[in-house]
Amino acid sequence: MPYHKFKCSECIPEREKHAVVKGPGEDLTSALPLGYLNTIPGSISERGCAYCGAKHVIGTPMKDVIHMSHGPVGCTYDTWQTKRYISDNDNFQLKYTYATDMKEKHIIFGAEKLLKQNIIEAFKAFPDIKRMTLYQTCASALIGDDINAVAAEVMEEMPEVDIFVCNAPGFGGPSQSGGHHKINIAWINQKVGNVEPKITSEYVINYVGEYNIQGDQEVMVDYFRRMGIQVLSTFTGNGSYDDLRAMHRAHLNVLECARSAEYICNELRVRYGTPRLDIDGFGFEALSSSLRKVGLFFGIEDRAQAIIDEETARWKPELDWYKERLKGKKVCLWPGGSKLWHWAHAIHAEMGVEVVSVYTKFGHQGDMEKGIARCEEGALAIDDPNELEALEAMEMLKPDIIFTGKRPGEVAKKLRVPYLNAHAYHNGPYKGFEGWVRFARDIYNGIYSPIHQLSFIDISKDEISTDTKFLTQKMISDVNLSEEVACSKDLREYTGKYETITALRNKTYPDFPAQKKLSVV
Amino acid sequence: MQCEVKNKERAGVINPILTCQPCGAQYASIGIKECIGIVHGGQGCVMFVRLLFSQHFKESFELASSSLHEDGAVFGATHRVEEAVDVLLMRYPHVKVIPIISTCSTEVIGDDIDGVVLKLNNGLLKEKYAGREVHLIPIHSPSFKGSMVSGYDVAVKDIVSHFAKKDKPNGKINLFTGWVNPGDVTAIKHLLSEMQVDATVLFEIESFDSPLMPDGNSVSYGNTTIEDLTETADALGTIALNRYEGGQAAQYLENEFDIPTIIGPTPIGIRNTDIFLQNVKKMTGKPIPASLVRERGIALDALTDLTHMFFADKKVAIYGNADLVIGLAEFCLDLEMKPVLLLLGDDNTSYPDDPRIKALQANVSFQMEVIMNADLWELENRIKNEGLELDLILGHSKGRFISIDYNIPMVRVGFPTYDRAGLHRHPVVGYAGATWLGEEMANTLFTDMEYKKNKEWVLNVW
Repeated sequence: MPYHKFKCSECIPEREKHAVVKGPGEDLTSALPLGYLNTIPGSISERGCAYCGAKHVIGTPMKDVIHMSHGPVGCTYDTWQTKRYISDNDNFQLKYTYATDMKEKHIIFGAEKLLKQNIIEAFKAFPDIKRMTLYQTCASALIGDDINAVAAEVMEEMPEVDIFVCNAPGFGGPSQSGGHHKINIAWINQKVGNVEPKITSEYVINYVGEYNIQGDQEVMVDYFRRMGIQVLSTFTGNGSYDDLRAMHRAHLNVLECARSAEYICNELRVRYGTPRLDIDGFGFEALSSSLRKVGLFFGIEDRAQAIIDEETARWKPELDWYKERLKGKKVCLWPGGSKLWHWAHAIHAEMGVEVVSVYTKFGHQGDMEKGIARCEEGALAIDDPNELEALEAMEMLKPDIIFTGKRPGEVAKKLRVPYLNAHAYHNGPYKGFEGWVRFARDIYNGIYSPIHQLSFIDISKDEISTDTKFLTQKMISDVNLSEEVACSKDLREYTGKYETITALRNKTYPDFPAQKKLSVV
Repeated sequence: MQCEVKNKERAGVINPILTCQPCGAQYASIGIKECIGIVHGGQGCVMFVRLLFSQHFKESFELASSSLHEDGAVFGATHRVEEAVDVLLMRYPHVKVIPIISTCSTEVIGDDIDGVVLKLNNGLLKEKYAGREVHLIPIHSPSFKGSMVSGYDVAVKDIVSHFAKKDKPNGKINLFTGWVNPGDVTAIKHLLSEMQVDATVLFEIESFDSPLMPDGNSVSYGNTTIEDLTETADALGTIALNRYEGGQAAQYLENEFDIPTIIGPTPIGIRNTDIFLQNVKKMTGKPIPASLVRERGIALDALTDLTHMFFADKKVAIYGNADLVIGLAEFCLDLEMKPVLLLLGDDNTSYPDDPRIKALQANVSFQMEVIMNADLWELENRIKNEGLELDLILGHSKGRFISIDYNIPMVRVGFPTYDRAGLHRHPVVGYAGATWLGEEMANTLFTDMEYKKNKEWVLNVW
């Protein structure tokens, strides 16, 4: 049996089929854990709720919108300022959050009036913003407030505003994934097709399932624009509400995070016949083939190739500098959903690390299929991990570094396992060619941190070296490196800047003359 | 020109100052040793609160969820609590205390957590865990009432009343710290130890600043034991530093066990610390020692260098937990500053009756507003649209963008302060806190003077 039994979970047999070890010669038919099932109460799982999946993950990265939650204040407060989805309008969506502040009397008598008052107040406070998203919470769902009706009423009274309603209460489904699904479907049902966009290129895409963490979206949009492609909308990072209402006019949906946003792509295909192309902005190889695929679709492969050649020549020597020093290092790849398969193969092939474990908090079996297929033999795959299992796994696997969330990262710190933030990144963006080097650099700095080395010394027992007054990462990493590699003239450390996104925002792009008449508007 | 106390006029909240009750109950829960709380509600109510704690302390704390899903929301979910208790007890053999913390969802559907506790006490605990000490404590903390402050207050009271049991007098005082930082606990313990007073510090979180040790320990937890809680009924007196965070528990002990009780003042600033020491002296009969006279002198010496030279007439806005905000305002007044705007982040209807607020109303001679049920838009809107000019903001990290966008210097204080390193390590209470706060405010103003080239040359000699 490929199933891995955690000692700490022997007393809860329901957990038995949630962890597998990919054995030699085993394929997915025999090594696939159960996934996306209800959480075991009291297990100290790391899962969030459907509300946060809808509002926090997908809704809020939309940049020019008042994001209001209909409920008590906590849902809003707790999901505010915990992510790094930036935008090119001075991060409006990061700065402001809105709660209708439902109180006991509203629970008893209803809160629709309160909601309407809130909507009007918020538009008044921000007169330049004319768009709003409304999120149901557990409380407003259970008392049965008709949020859609209130939104419709306001839109009738205030024709200049537009409001989107997402009914994804926290209890809806086993994890945040339920909310991803609901907001995808709600958006296409309510909003897509409402706006006719200005078409400026022969090649028009929606960029879907991309949340602009530390600027990822802007890095990728830069490539598309260099290819002469119009990115009509991004769902949703750095995305604009009205652009997303025009998604139906794109020629192609380019999908990044299939876990959170494949639903809307599939619906766009069914309703508007727009094809879906899954791409991957992480890793030189995956990114190159993604750009090539997009180029191929439009018959502009040469434009893609030019970018790939230029970027590879610029950044590959830096990536390889790190690869030489990361070879064989053991990684626990413990993100939320899709990064286990985005990263599993790419970090092994291009950075030389060994993925000894993958886990997913809210992924489905499909994510595990892809993740396990792409990680090494012997890797431990865990679905819906809990606190004790994660500890047991770390003690058993003794990874050199772990990629996970902020709070689990603190647990790893105490076990003296360096951690990188897999959701919000340390020094991102991590997408794009340069981004991938930044990721490698963060991994390298994590593993070879001189302070990290000190945490293994027990001054009450160990002999303290009196010769060493300091160490550098390179003094640690290059100990076992051959002279040839250590002093190679072809390789170099990362040479980019701390902040890379502002330059992209100020960039101008070449004009690709269009062959035919473009817009109906 | 006077101090005006009023409610926020808008119905909604734009950028909240406080989160909801379950967060406060969870904060109380992690202050107890051998305790893991179960939050009965959706998973986000726990996951995000754990994240919030880890943002502030850079530590991880254990809290469990009953993981309410759709079926539970429709048909009732008390069986999820039963399962959660069992799973937790099986897998965490050291756990003895389990607060069952309700949320908006499970209060709306009317899940009877008191009934479940009764059922578990008579069933599961007797049958499966006979011989093991387990305390299940229902805590009603619906999110649609009060705030994280009242959630903490309610949980502290419910936990104390669960355990407190009269035995022999133990000669100690009970000390409820309220929602403070590890640095505050260290400062308070220091004052008490200088006075040679034996105190039980309750919901004691000094250990939240936990080290990275050679043997590797994975989670942080508080230090208050079952014994500490039980013995609260045997104390010679109770001091609650904060009125709204632990005050109810102190009141309970007084009502139930006739324990002399002093609630407040929050010992922020020299004067409030003096009163605190005076109260301790009265309660225990122990004198205030020369060492504290000296310590106080050091604080006064530091502050005297700063007051009329730099602090006088500086306009300050303060937001956060009510006790903290009021304490800071009182300290600012002593420092010759003008706290022109106080934002109390929840709708506690007893705030207007708070004698400290009444004293502000009676004595402040400049235009001062105290806004109850306030949000951060009350602050930003005044700056952006109503011409409010400020020299300094005191508050937690959630308001950071006001400081950034309007170029107003800000000292991070309260909870959470995740956008500055290690603030949980520094006290704001006691003489040490007064010194630290005063110097932090001064250095923040100095940096701002230099950054804006606003009489930065003054600092050449002072």
